Amino acid sequence: MKRTLFALAIVAVAALAFQLAAAPAAQAAEGKVLKLAMDADPVSLDPQIQLSGGMLQYSHMVFDPLVRWTKEMTIEPRLAESWEQIDPKTMRFHLRKGVKFHSGNPFTAKDVVFTLNRLKESPDFKGLFEPFEKAVAVDDNTVDLVTKEPYGLTLAMSTYIFPMDSVFYSGKDESGQPKDALVKTGPSFANANESGTGPYKVVEREQGVKLVMDRNPEYWDKKSPGNVSKIIFTPIKEDATRVAALLSGDVDFIEPVPPQDMKRLADDPNIELVSMPGTRVITLQLNQKRREEFKNPKVREAIIYAINNPGIVKTIMKGDAMAAGQQSPKGYAGYNPDLTPRFDLEKAKQLMKEAGYEKGFEVTMIAPNNRYVNDEKIAEAVVGMLSKIGIKVNLKTMPKAQYWDEFDNQVADIQMIGWHADTEDSANFSEYLIMCPNKETGMGQYNSGNYCNPKLDELVIASRSELDMDKRAKMLQEVEKIAYDDAAFVPLHWQNLSWAAKKNVKLIPIVNIMDFPYFGDIVIE
Amino acid sequence: MFAFLIRRLVQAVLVMLIISFIGFSLKHAFGDPVRDLVGVSVSKEERDKIAEKLGLHDPVMVQYVRFLKNALTGDLGYSYFFKKPALDVILSKAPATLELVFAASLIIVFLSIPAGVYAAIRPRSFLSRLIMGSSIVGVSIPVFFTAIMMIYIFSVELHWAPSFGRGELVTLFGFWPSGLVTLDGLEHLIMPSIALSSIMLPLFIRLIQAEMMEALQSEYVKFAFAKGLKTFRIYMVHAFKNTLLPVITVGGVQLGTMIAFTILTETVFNWQGMGAMFVEAVERGDTSLLVAYLVFVGMVFIVVNTCVDLVYGLVNPMVRVAGRK
Amino acid sequence: MWKKFLASHFLWSFKRDWVAMASAAVLVLLLLASLLAPVIAPHNPYDGTNVDIMEAETPPVWMEGGTSKFILGTDAQGRGILSAMLYGMRTSLMIGLGAVFLQAFMGILIGLFSGYSGGKLEAFLMRLADVQLSFSTLLVAIFVGAIFQMVFGVASYEQMAVPLLIVIIGFAEWPQYARTVRASVLAEKKKEYVEAARVIGLPARRIMLRHILPNTLSPVLVISTVQVANAIMSEAALSFLGFGMPVTRPSLGSLIKSGFEFIFSGSWWITVFPGILLVVLILVINLLGDFMREALNPKLYKGA
Repeated sequence: MKRTLFALAIVAVAALAFQLAAAPAAQAAEGKVLKLAMDADPVSLDPQIQLSGGMLQYSHMVFDPLVRWTKEMTIEPRLAESWEQIDPKTMRFHLRKGVKFHSGNPFTAKDVVFTLNRLKESPDFKGLFEPFEKAVAVDDNTVDLVTKEPYGLTLAMSTYIFPMDSVFYSGKDESGQPKDALVKTGPSFANANESGTGPYKVVEREQGVKLVMDRNPEYWDKKSPGNVSKIIFTPIKEDATRVAALLSGDVDFIEPVPPQDMKRLADDPNIELVSMPGTRVITLQLNQKRREEFKNPKVREAIIYAINNPGIVKTIMKGDAMAAGQQSPKGYAGYNPDLTPRFDLEKAKQLMKEAGYEKGFEVTMIAPNNRYVNDEKIAEAVVGMLSKIGIKVNLKTMPKAQYWDEFDNQVADIQMIGWHADTEDSANFSEYLIMCPNKETGMGQYNSGNYCNPKLDELVIASRSELDMDKRAKMLQEVEKIAYDDAAFVPLHWQNLSWAAKKNVKLIPIVNIMDFPYFGDIVIE
Repeated sequence: MFAFLIRRLVQAVLVMLIISFIGFSLKHAFGDPVRDLVGVSVSKEERDKIAEKLGLHDPVMVQYVRFLKNALTGDLGYSYFFKKPALDVILSKAPATLELVFAASLIIVFLSIPAGVYAAIRPRSFLSRLIMGSSIVGVSIPVFFTAIMMIYIFSVELHWAPSFGRGELVTLFGFWPSGLVTLDGLEHLIMPSIALSSIMLPLFIRLIQAEMMEALQSEYVKFAFAKGLKTFRIYMVHAFKNTLLPVITVGGVQLGTMIAFTILTETVFNWQGMGAMFVEAVERGDTSLLVAYLVFVGMVFIVVNTCVDLVYGLVNPMVRVAGRK
Repeated sequence: MWKKFLASHFLWSFKRDWVAMASAAVLVLLLLASLLAPVIAPHNPYDGTNVDIMEAETPPVWMEGGTSKFILGTDAQGRGILSAMLYGMRTSLMIGLGAVFLQAFMGILIGLFSGYSGGKLEAFLMRLADVQLSFSTLLVAIFVGAIFQMVFGVASYEQMAVPLLIVIIGFAEWPQYARTVRASVLAEKKKEYVEAARVIGLPARRIMLRHILPNTLSPVLVISTVQVANAIMSEAALSFLGFGMPVTRPSLGSLIKSGFEFIFSGSWWITVFPGILLVVLILVINLLGDFMREALNPKLYKGA
């Protein structure tokens, strides 16, 4: 035993010496390296495997969309150079010429058709692409997107079409599985290999540990100012560790930034912090099926008036959020500037009195504790605020893995939910959160308040096929007004998005309110 | 001896069967793995389809029998999240944790034995009181707090040590990514191993001190002094050897616990070992990985505790666990 | 009884050990403070009507911006730290002592029986310990929490959290005791005095409890005093992972945990005051434990 240990020690020392000698050579890398730390890494290399913020961020690094959002929420061309509506159901896209995939295959209209067909198969994306009938390749550089009905969001949805290399993903892999198979829970060709047109190629990946990407030398966008030749992406889940990693200089760029550390980062002269209003709204739903009291609009209104959401934003969120009075954030079609936060404790007490609940009552509430920024603390603050109008709240918080089943089962009277519209459009909020729950149409899937107003439903449905954008906006603003007057739900705030980087990393030009920084364009000085 | 090991092996299989069964019957408590695989807006029908494909809708017993059948061929199931065989995931994370635990154990052994022995020999001295008092501070500060304070002081302020991860790794023997053989790797190891040992140290210092004080009062030590043997020899050979039984027992339990559940240290230092993987699996409801992991951990505990039982005989000839009754 | 105590060796050595006396005094003070928390605390931090979010992160009274309303400042929700500490200490002590009592009770019994009887029973109990060890505190917390919620719903969680956590932490960590006691029993049971007791025909139960147990107490006492700290930490760790006390009723451990996020933004008092209190609490418990171990141990001859 002793002898083995000794031998092992010798091996270790020898290996160490060897390593020390070899180390300097490895460090001499050419070009700029960006060390990136986020809270999680992409779950797969297949961009269609999951509809989530992390996967979209990855898609923008390794793939390119047909078109993309700008900072100002307008649409700019990417793989599609131009487009036109040729009839109410068809939009024609003219594709960029001379673009090559990472595999070397040329990018053509066929790839767009392949990609859309695959999107319609993907469990995550098929819902979003339900209104689309098909894509038709007119010639190599022209493709038509055809919808089933006239559809106002065709262009916005095209930001989700990241063309995949149809040749690369054809055929079968070694295990006999088709290369384009969408496999969520096992190995597949697409989960482990990529061929996109994007600014970076994946060179090394160990899930949950790191993802290394090199700049694509043949990237078509020669105008892109990006000068990063390598990205080393490490997931760091713990907020404090991620912040420390940036402060100590071990990484160059972090996202997200926890609100409680913003001041510290802002004070650091070597670090740039950017925070902008986001689009994810945090709300509470008051279950009218569970509680007789919540059927009374006055009680619901009283609760809204009792909750000091500007106070929550100021203290718990450290100003890193925007207090909300409605679902749609500013910039969305349905945003109604008249609907502002309502905090007025006296009015709340008055309303409780009018409703006949002056003495208050006792309710239950659940909230996640690792899903939204400071979700647990927000819930805790709400409990205190409601106690001031006599409502005693029994709160239980739980991790997200357990939360959603409980949410669906509606185990508590008040339930917290945050929502980001995948379509970047107001109607999406109402469809999931406040339209009458309907198993058949799938509307109101996350409406655990069981609020139901047919008039509101009609307006949302009508807005879908409205092609006149002004008219559509009017309808959606009306929807917000109805929900506001009915006190359909309790709006709390929109979470801000925040990023921090070393001063020499120019992060402002690449970030946007959709939360997918365009890393292809990042400049390090 | 041989019969003893065979008996333990049979028991080990039984234990793993029981663990996997408990794991299976309670796995719904972890949450729904499908939730984590899809975006929030995916409809229930789509989720049901995936669950159906994964066989999650079958009765628990059917799933369990299927698991057992596969386990016979060495297949402990697929991790939903990592999209790899669960055993592969566990084994790929094991080196990180084992190296961390190894380093922490070294610190514990080299600090707790001298400190505990000294505090027993000179119980009234100032240094002893300092050792005994300050060791308590270690257990009364949560490890996540110790860890993050160390990161802030030594990484952020002083830039002495790297703040996270394992640093540069070299693959040894073709399968063991090791940080022990590079300077960078060793630098990354220092703070996590100190943080991890800080919570275990007080227990060992106190145990050794208590047992040692008893041993020093025993007849044979007094006799040895009377015989005029060298003091150091009496302390280390006569007295210290007799303190080892509880120390090794507790050591075994703690070692197993460190290997299995160094959750907080690994999380804070972003150390990609089994503890961090365990939390990831819990948070993502990756039930198949969790069950496989529980079986693995059960094995670790049985191996460690069997070793402990074998060591008993070496330390104290009066204890016979291994031999015939 | 009382007279016997006054004349005992225990009290005699206690009066000669100023560390033990000081520790006992501090511990009694802390126990009183936590028992009387509802009376002496300036506010009731568990009642939301007293808490105003706009007073969050008020610094202690001697710092700029502090008010005499909150002597030690407030936490991120606007709770007074002093009141929260007093209430939190009560919760933490209940969890720490309760869980250790449960662990020790289960562990000692199982350890004694398996060590003394040996054979199949021993193998079974020790493998049971291995099974239990594989299910860490976190897993037990998830399971027990899920079962509890299924049976009782969300409403009673706040009231039931303390007993629930005692059961969780107590259950998860009994094998440590069981294995330690068993090891000591294995060493003791071959000794002459046990053989003698057996020869004169004493019942096994009496031999175990009256003869063997006192001789295994030294490691048990060490583990117990350290384990109180560990149980309190386990609760803090569980709340770090989202399974601890309800956020509206913080324990000392969860106060430290919730405060540690703010320490670098300057609000150090949220963590530091509860932290100091916890260290003091654990310290005096352990110092008293050390003293008791020495005073009660039959193997140590005091007064030399």
